[in-house]
Amino acid sequence: MSNVSFCCYEQADVMKCVDTIVDKCTDPGCCLSRMRPRYKRLVDNIFPSVPQEGLVKNNMEKLTFYALSSPEKLDRIGEYLFQKASRDISRKRNEFVMIAMEAMDQLLVACHAQTLNLFVESYLRIVQKLLESSEPSLQILATQSFVRFSNIEEDTPSYHRRYDFFVSKFSSMCHNNNANLATLEMIRMAGIKGIQGVIRKTVSDDLVENIWEPVHMDKIVPSLLFNMHTMKSKSDIVVESGISEEVNDKNDAFSLAESCLRELIGRASFGHVKSVIRPVLKHLDAHHMWVPNVFATQCFRILMFSIQSQYSYAVVETLMTHLDENSNASPKIRTSIADVLSKIIAIAANESVGPTVLEIINSLLTNLRTSVTRRPPSNIGLAESDGENEYREALIHALGEFAAHLPDYQKIEIMMFIMSKVPQLKSSNNPNDLHVQRMCLKSLLMVSTKYCSVQMNATFPQSFLDLLLKTLTASEDEIRFIVLRILHTLLDRHNNASKFSKATVNITKSEINLEKCSRSDTIFIRKHAQDIYVSIYECLEITNNTVDNVEAVYTTLALICIELLSEETVLDFIRLILSIQELAITNAVLSTQQKFHLHALVVSIMLLVAIIIDLHPLKIYINKIIEQRKLLNATHLLPELSIHNEIKSISLLPAGVLIEEPELTEALKASGIDITKTGPVLTHRRSWVENTNMSMKGSYTDLSNLDLDSVNSTPAMQRRFSPNEDLSFEAMKRSLLDNPAVKAEQNTRQTQLCDLYRNASFQDLVAISTASKDEESLHTKITDVFNKVDLSNKLSAIETNNNSKPIYETLFPELFAF
Amino acid sequence: MEDYKFLFKVVLVGNAGVGKTCLVRRFTQGMFPPGQGATIGVDFMIKTIEIDNEKVKLQIWDTAGQERFRSITQSYYRSAHALILIYDITSQPTFDCLNDWLREIDEYANNRVLRVLVGNKIDKEDREIPSHVGQDFAQRHDMRYLETSAKQADNVEKLFVQIASELMEQAKSKGISTESPQSLPFNTRTSKTINDFCCNR
Ligand SMILES: Nc1nc2c(ncn2[C@@H]2O[C@H](COP(=O)(O)OP(=O)(O)OP(=O)(O)O)[C@@H](O)[C@H]2O)c(=O)[nH]1
Ligand SMILES: [Mg+2]
Repeated sequence: MSNVSFCCYEQADVMKCVDTIVDKCTDPGCCLSRMRPRYKRLVDNIFPSVPQEGLVKNNMEKLTFYALSSPEKLDRIGEYLFQKASRDISRKRNEFVMIAMEAMDQLLVACHAQTLNLFVESYLRIVQKLLESSEPSLQILATQSFVRFSNIEEDTPSYHRRYDFFVSKFSSMCHNNNANLATLEMIRMAGIKGIQGVIRKTVSDDLVENIWEPVHMDKIVPSLLFNMHTMKSKSDIVVESGISEEVNDKNDAFSLAESCLRELIGRASFGHVKSVIRPVLKHLDAHHMWVPNVFATQCFRILMFSIQSQYSYAVVETLMTHLDENSNASPKIRTSIADVLSKIIAIAANESVGPTVLEIINSLLTNLRTSVTRRPPSNIGLAESDGENEYREALIHALGEFAAHLPDYQKIEIMMFIMSKVPQLKSSNNPNDLHVQRMCLKSLLMVSTKYCSVQMNATFPQSFLDLLLKTLTASEDEIRFIVLRILHTLLDRHNNASKFSKATVNITKSEINLEKCSRSDTIFIRKHAQDIYVSIYECLEITNNTVDNVEAVYTTLALICIELLSEETVLDFIRLILSIQELAITNAVLSTQQKFHLHALVVSIMLLVAIIIDLHPLKIYINKIIEQRKLLNATHLLPELSIHNEIKSISLLPAGVLIEEPELTEALKASGIDITKTGPVLTHRRSWVENTNMSMKGSYTDLSNLDLDSVNSTPAMQRRFSPNEDLSFEAMKRSLLDNPAVKAEQNTRQTQLCDLYRNASFQDLVAISTASKDEESLHTKITDVFNKVDLSNKLSAIETNNNSKPIYETLFPELFAF
Repeated sequence: MEDYKFLFKVVLVGNAGVGKTCLVRRFTQGMFPPGQGATIGVDFMIKTIEIDNEKVKLQIWDTAGQERFRSITQSYYRSAHALILIYDITSQPTFDCLNDWLREIDEYANNRVLRVLVGNKIDKEDREIPSHVGQDFAQRHDMRYLETSAKQADNVEKLFVQIASELMEQAKSKGISTESPQSLPFNTRTSKTINDFCCNR
């Protein structure tokens, strides 16, 4: 072996003496024996006598010509070149190695695709050999050649060819730590380019090495990321906004790594997405790159922009799974992950359809729920301060970001979905449930702010509205407040909410963005006025209402008035306002302060109605009342609502400060509101209770719909105010009780209630009554039904009810023992 | 014409600073590098040695001990024929971590990989882990045990030669991989036979 190389070393001298004797032969051994194969001679001839002269061009042409004309010799040529190169490497004769490499490159390009694979084996062995050397220049040379090779299309992929060494070595080069910074960057860049080459070579053909295997991805991905975050300081391009859909084409390690990552994820099919994302997550974990999450965000945005868009939600899914897996990590980390999620989720929203959308929403809600329930209830107070809250906010924000980029019809779907996830609080009142409820509603609020109402009947599908209204009477004031805010965002089509955030009597029509109420809106409010008004009324009855709650009710009413009311439908609304005034006068449990707030609310909203619907006489009348209140210094009955309303007037309710029914009736008549058709206003006119069909569906929940009646006719109230008292509340109540239509309505309900009690099993009924959030109210309701039944003997229609009475009285004696 | 008969992949693992890189440098380059910096990611070295007149090529992957590189270094375990687990005999913490390392090895490496425990830096005076403790630990976990000094070149050659001989023994006893790798397709059968061999052990 050594003598061969000795000969080669002595090439120059030998050539001089044998040149004329044996053409083209430079190897003395060969010359002497004349046994040396032609291909070897051709190969030998491409090497110059002194390396500085470089590849002998015309001899290279001869070799190429030979290779093309005798392709079957290609493998031998390759093998021989490899041997020569190996020898040169071990002797550190790098110039000759470079020449061999150049020759290899030229042959690769010149060879026909179908014969190429004969040659590739030895070619790759040389590349590997070079990569194995500790010499940076050889490693870089090998990489350059390999990159050229990776761009050559091969006809017949070699299935047995393996690239694990290349992946391992290139990844190692990506982490080069050479003391010389320039060398370091060159080697790292070579590593990245090499990886890119392997990807190109393998990715298009599944039969070749499967580059998506974890064993490869776990090396490739961290290597790219490592260069993205360690090499970025040099190039200032990495401001957060700098990450866009555009590929960064600067030639530095950072940009190379980034574009390689883009190419990789861009080529990933659905099944491969996780193979790429998993190591990304692992890397971010290992390098503690979630807090702060600038780089994580940057990475994920790059991934999202480069992935085939139909798979983008898989990235979101994987990130969400990671969040699940980190449920025991510090809230800071989780918050940061959720924050990254919120920054990319919008990109996925555009591509998400159907079940995926709900899956994503569901997963976010589940995380919220987990966050709430992960701590023992006693620690909830603590949880607020240890970052758990930020985490939740981040999740809700992500949810909002996602929803914001979905089409509106999907937002409704999502809102309904979220609403269906809101736990309906039962008597247990588990603090966790309460928390979950609050979180869900906050999410809902977030989504609702992204939704743009056009037609109210589309915005409020029946089941959605039902659940919302039901939650409006939740026992927690904060919950009710959120629901009211949800209503604001959904109702406020004309951007008026901010003007009506606080009750006021200083408003002019010109300040309000108004649009004439459409037919479908009128139909909507006709259909739902009953449910909505009852719920609002009940909401105001609750004793823990804060000023904020009352203000929020004001805003809601103002928006209903602006968005939905017309002359046709205004009367029911006025009835509601009037009954709120009644509530303020007669309720026994509300605080004095709360009652003042109600009075201020009533007068403000009544004025607004007059302004919006252009009921001039009504406006005059209400202004008169306002003036009167001012005159008598009854400022506690006027806005601003505040917690400490001091009483400046001589009495709480001085004369002439209340809205009185006869004057109101007159004002309405004078305003052209048709109140005569069906009898005197507020007594014989069809009530707002009438329109909707509050059917008993046999479920407990529907029982609560009876609340309005039960409130108005609770024994306590009846004791307080005799029917003779000339209070409009009584008029109101009469209107409810005496109106034949209402009667009929109530009768149906009574019948249904009776049917329920007749047909349901005892256990069911016990279950119903015990499951009640407030047994008292069920009790009052039943009492109420009884009272009415007793009172209405004169009506023949309810005889069946009378008959049925003993049945449940005997069944549930304990319920009626009062 | 290929210059080796066997190709084995050896991976070094262990806490940061125990001397992995120094051992590799001592073995491959015959020197003790002054002021050796911490390894980033994974380093690669190659060395061909001769055992019983047969050339054995060792591909040596020197991993970073730092925690943050754990995810990439783990990915190199899988294809290893031998894993050298190193601790520093003057540092109890590096010994205490051995169990964690074994757990990682179990998770990521081929379960038939040849495992060698090495206590390094025996040239130092302030030993904390007595020899027999390391020996015991190795025995309990079915590993070879050796104490080395990269600085004074104690047992370094021996370490790698032993590994190479053992792997060669294993390969030969299975009666395979004796043919010259040069006649094999690129980069495949050599390693593959060893892999198969390891798996069938
Ligand atoms: N006295 C003595 N010091 C050693 C020996 N081996 C390594 N060192 C020193 O230990 C320190 C760390 O050595 P490295 O080889 O870089 O350690 P490593 O395991 O590669 O560390 P990482 O690459 O960070 O995982 C250096 O300062 C070496 O000089 C040894 O045998 N004896
Ligand atoms: Mg090291």
